[in-house]
Amino acid sequence: MQWSVIFKKEMLENARNIKWIWVPIVFFIFGIMDPITTYYLPKILESVGGLPEGAVVDIPMPIPAEAFFYSVSEIDSLGLLVIALIGMRLIAGEMKSGVYELVLSKPVKYTNYVTAKWAGFVLLVVTSTFIGLLAGWYYVNLLFGDLGFDAFLTTFLLYSVYSLFFTAIIVFVNTWFKKPGMVLFLSFLLAIGIDIITSIYGHILTWSPGHISSYVNDYLQSGTIPSEMWGTIGTTFVLIIIMLLLSIVILKNKEK
Amino acid sequence: MDLNWGLILPLLIIEAILIVVALIDLIRIDETKGPKWVWALIIIFLTVLGPISYFIFGRRQD
Repeated sequence: MQWSVIFKKEMLENARNIKWIWVPIVFFIFGIMDPITTYYLPKILESVGGLPEGAVVDIPMPIPAEAFFYSVSEIDSLGLLVIALIGMRLIAGEMKSGVYELVLSKPVKYTNYVTAKWAGFVLLVVTSTFIGLLAGWYYVNLLFGDLGFDAFLTTFLLYSVYSLFFTAIIVFVNTWFKKPGMVLFLSFLLAIGIDIITSIYGHILTWSPGHISSYVNDYLQSGTIPSEMWGTIGTTFVLIIIMLLLSIVILKNKEK
Repeated sequence: MDLNWGLILPLLIIEAILIVVALIDLIRIDETKGPKWVWALIIIFLTVLGPISYFIFGRRQD
């Protein structure tokens, strides 16, 4: 009951901020940008010129699966940046402006507050990711050849696990500081830290969330989901739950 | 240079929509961080990046 009220408030706010319009549009652009530029790269090089006489521009065209992964990595980098920029004010901004005290002056459970805010954020992020990847997949089919819809759907579902994880990091860091800039910086520090640790100890930590995008790439290349993926999904969900629980505990202890 | 406009056009249209949405919002909003006309220039002349930075940094968050 209470949960859905906060969730609806979050939805309403995202609609008023027109986030529901601009974030999907931006992800759509991110999704199709790389397939298009890769496709036209030889032509762009030709028209820009500066090449010696008789030089032949011969850049091998990527296979469809490879080209689709360009869209994924675009959303994995620029997309995450946009997500973090939106999310840095999620709770920290409300604390700063006083909305937070206003909401919690009513008998609102911290659990409801944190999970509803996270869910609202996730819905926006996952919808935008879906639109971006769908657009990328469509362009890959037009430009580079056939790639099955199941490949798109599996990629989207697997990658969404990482989106959930990243948004949970942002919610978690939001409970530490009131300064949005700090939240942005630390969220990235945490996410990049996990990536670095994963790349160093990757052979031991085969279930680390940092592997998700490379497992998605493996899946696109081979057509089968790597067996470690299921363990990774398990760990990621456990980490998400831990981070959300910690956020609730931190907020509870903050006042009084 | 032969471009397939069927491929490029959707991108241009969606970029235009983004700019128009940002401009409409800029006109309707009461206050922005910094002068409005600067944001208008940023939105129009910096493709994609302009509208995004307006939505993230330009709108007053309170």
